[in-house]
Amino acid sequence: MIKFEHVGLRYGIGPEVLSDIDFTLEQGSFHFLTGPSGAGKTSLMSLMYLGRKPTRGLVTMFGQDIGQMNRDQLAGIRQRIGVVFQDFRLLDHLSAFDNVALPLRIQGKPEKEIRNNVNELLEWVGLGDHKHVLPNTMSGGQQQRIAIARAVITRPRLLLADEPTGNLDDEIGFRLMNLFDQLNRMGTTVVIATHNTQILQKFKHSKMILDSGTLRIEDAKSKIMKKLEGVF
Amino acid sequence: MLDIFKKGEKLLGIQSGKRRYDLPLDRAEGNGFLKALILMMTLLGVMAFAAYFVLSAMADRWTSGLENKATVEIPAHTVDGDPVESNQITAFTQSALLVLKNNIAVQDAAIMQKDDIQKLVSPWLGDNANLNDIPLPGLISVSFKDSAQPDIPAIEKELHEISSLIRIDTHQSWLHDVLRFTGALKFGSVLLLSIIGMITISAVAGAVKSRIAVHKDEVELLHLIGATDHYITGQFQKHTAFMTLQSAGAGTLAGLIALFLIGKIAGSMDMALLPDFSMHTGHHITLLLLPLFITGLSAFTARITVLHALRRMP
Repeated sequence: MIKFEHVGLRYGIGPEVLSDIDFTLEQGSFHFLTGPSGAGKTSLMSLMYLGRKPTRGLVTMFGQDIGQMNRDQLAGIRQRIGVVFQDFRLLDHLSAFDNVALPLRIQGKPEKEIRNNVNELLEWVGLGDHKHVLPNTMSGGQQQRIAIARAVITRPRLLLADEPTGNLDDEIGFRLMNLFDQLNRMGTTVVIATHNTQILQKFKHSKMILDSGTLRIEDAKSKIMKKLEGVF
Repeated sequence: MLDIFKKGEKLLGIQSGKRRYDLPLDRAEGNGFLKALILMMTLLGVMAFAAYFVLSAMADRWTSGLENKATVEIPAHTVDGDPVESNQITAFTQSALLVLKNNIAVQDAAIMQKDDIQKLVSPWLGDNANLNDIPLPGLISVSFKDSAQPDIPAIEKELHEISSLIRIDTHQSWLHDVLRFTGALKFGSVLLLSIIGMITISAVAGAVKSRIAVHKDEVELLHLIGATDHYITGQFQKHTAFMTLQSAGAGTLAGLIALFLIGKIAGSMDMALLPDFSMHTGHHITLLLLPLFITGLSAFTARITVLHALRRMP
């Protein structure tokens, strides 16, 4: 579904921040992207949500080489991706309702469908009574929940979340992780960049570990198998 | 309760089909300046169009009926300034008329009566000029056959045999000057309209570029959540079109009021030489279409500018 082959990224004429990144994410898989600060997690995420073009290598999304796509085709691919940005990136002049409704409006969905879906999701993230509130009057946690609701409102095929539980208390954090789990079970591929060790321990999914611009994948199943081999 | 909810949604603009722009374009700084500029440019455009129409009408009025025509004049004074007897003028006029009627190129020749002369001089002296105190020359209005190419020097030679004072005027020389003058003024109007168009395009392009720069993050976000260039361009285009339509409409209204006032003032001056400021239906329709044209021009400029800027984004 998503395939990176020998992908490298550099900013301007600086050194490569990502080198020879190779991985394949299957449809319906769940991954944590982790690693120390400055390892390149946000850069890798930006390549996955097509916010940047790699300086080398081949990126294939949903079976299509993104290097060969025109701008409209790239927009079509982006519509299948939901992104929770680390800094939320909400539009301050729009209400919580309009922020969450934005991806549906961009996709040209009917207003009745938009209203039903957005109201339902806002209730679910616990902000049903905040739908007319502007983001800049909300707390960090509330803004984060709006950002998450915006990312999942279209039931994307790929969900990318950069530190999605960073500003949330444990209860809401776990609740949102359960939402990601539910989406995953419905077929959405999920990649979550996080430092949260509690979440990493509680949810047993494969880990993409970035260190100094290179990627290593730790498969949850193989880790369990290794543990089982040690027991027996 | 449901009504209150619906009312609230309506106020916030999220009711079905009635929502605000995804980008905060209606709050952008400089909107007021751009609106004022478009209003003034439209007002100037209305004035330039009106000037063009009036000049065209003026040229038409001055040239109408002068093609294939000439005027033969038996002056009321000699070259030394001595008055010519009115009986003699009448005799010369009758002889000249006979010569002209016998010419094969002449379709018709008629002595101009006092009323005709009054009409002829009214653009300069007004409709109520008193001609009794003015020594009047003998005038013969001549029209040539459409296909004929009259030999003017030969006719003039024949007329000089009656009196060397007699002159024939085909109007060509002054007509040429008048047409050149009005043509230059019309060109000036067109040039002014072009400058107005260019200023409008530059102002809209500049404002749109500045808005893209100010809202770069928001535009990028729309891209990242799947908006096509067409979608983002549509936001700028709709906003520019709506804003321009408001300003250009107000500018046209102000221009029409100004023209009405100018027409009133000119009408009350009773100066027949001045062109008629009244416009016909076609002119009014053109002026009423002006805001739509300016709106289209602004929207197209916004579209091209945004598309150009978006292509430089990832």
